Amino acid sequence: MTVKTTDFIIVGGGVHGCATAYELAKAGYKVTLFESRYLSSGGSGRSAAGLRQHFGTEVNLHMAKYNLKVFPTLEEELDTGMDLEFRQWGYMWVAYTDSCLDQLKKNVALQKSMDIPSVIFTPDEIHERWPYLRLDGIIGAAFCGEDGHINPQTLTMAYGEAAARYGAVVKTYTPVQKLLAENGKIKGVVTESGEEWHAPRVLLAAGPHTRPLAATVGVDIPVYPERHNILISEPVEVFNCPMVLCLDDGAYFKQCPNGTFMFGRDDQDEPRDLGNEGNSVKFLAGVTASVLKRIPALSGVRVVRQWSGPYDVTEDHNAIIDWTPLEGLMVNCGWSGHGLQFGPSGGRVCKEMLVGEQAFVDLHRFRLARFAEGDLFFEPAFI
Amino acid sequence: MELIKEHPILEYKHGKEVVFTLDGKELKGYAGEPIAMALHANGVHIYRITPEMKRPRGFFCAIGKCSSCFMVVDGVPNVRTCVTPLEAGMKVETQHGKGLVPLEAQ
Repeated sequence: MTVKTTDFIIVGGGVHGCATAYELAKAGYKVTLFESRYLSSGGSGRSAAGLRQHFGTEVNLHMAKYNLKVFPTLEEELDTGMDLEFRQWGYMWVAYTDSCLDQLKKNVALQKSMDIPSVIFTPDEIHERWPYLRLDGIIGAAFCGEDGHINPQTLTMAYGEAAARYGAVVKTYTPVQKLLAENGKIKGVVTESGEEWHAPRVLLAAGPHTRPLAATVGVDIPVYPERHNILISEPVEVFNCPMVLCLDDGAYFKQCPNGTFMFGRDDQDEPRDLGNEGNSVKFLAGVTASVLKRIPALSGVRVVRQWSGPYDVTEDHNAIIDWTPLEGLMVNCGWSGHGLQFGPSGGRVCKEMLVGEQAFVDLHRFRLARFAEGDLFFEPAFI
Repeated sequence: MELIKEHPILEYKHGKEVVFTLDGKELKGYAGEPIAMALHANGVHIYRITPEMKRPRGFFCAIGKCSSCFMVVDGVPNVRTCVTPLEAGMKVETQHGKGLVPLEAQ
């Protein structure tokens, strides 16, 4: 069997893998990306793809700010002809309790200190601006008008296609069976079809699959799958409805540029294992009851379909971006549901770390050792 | 109204005659029969104008599959009028584009 060699191997054709391949290839490095199905087929393409600068920690805010700096011109930069559907209709976090509003106020204060134009709205201000929202019982909300929407599938595919144009080898429908290590260093990967590829640096960006893949070389990455459901409605005329996230039961909704509406909602009873991609009838009933209460204008609008996707959850709902104890093996995973929008910054920091440059943000808080050290880093703004 | 009065094989009866409106104009039809049937009987052939090409669309598949007969009914856009029964007082409107949902405060 011929062994192929490259400078960098990326496992995972989600937005982080594709963005990293793009950054590396653009900088002239030889990179090969492996994806078990098609680009964006996992958590990336299934995400609601809200873009926000509402976080409560500096490192996430630095990266979120960078994302929002990149998105407006990204379609032009990647130049694939794909419509990324970037829109800035805003993103609102709606509080129903005092403690919740207090946390939103703290988050907004931190955002303002970093020149992010977030505001706190009173219920009257919300009613005046969006009279069609019926948010009974709310006591306030955090809103950022720069935030918005992107198409998670074209975003991921455009990164992959642009990477290939710069010379990256993008191998779809090529599942990686296991990683290879030798003398305490990463050596490469073996695919299920029996291909062997060697590289001195390997990045795992495979969402919840990162854990079983890392385990093939004895590395434990504490990231867990958690199934989340979304539904989409038929299109109605666009009225720029922002993303609205209700913090009482975690229900959210937003209009997409083609006029469809996306609804989602948390459910603690959802399965937490890999390979469970079905979806639940309970979700359909629960989310429609919860969302239509808040936007009754959509009452007669029909549901077109629903789907699910896996979050890659960590104990503190923050990402892991770090080298592992196995030399040459790096991970970028654990985004816990907010990862899609971090494609631009995730791709950049991973490229910087892989080639030995200083990452543009301090990623100390995202280190892998924090779990073993009991130094968890909680993100107060997660869904 | 242009409706078949006698059929060589089938025997059927209409329900109660009711009044509904099309773009504000009063029309008559039979309760329980598809909205599109009542419109057709009244000589109405344009039900909506397409979003992109602004083309007229009307009665086509008649089984709720093709999206040709979408109209705004009682404020709800994209109602399949060929399979939605007519009721007294229904407010039927020609749908322009994707159809607006009622955004005024409720």
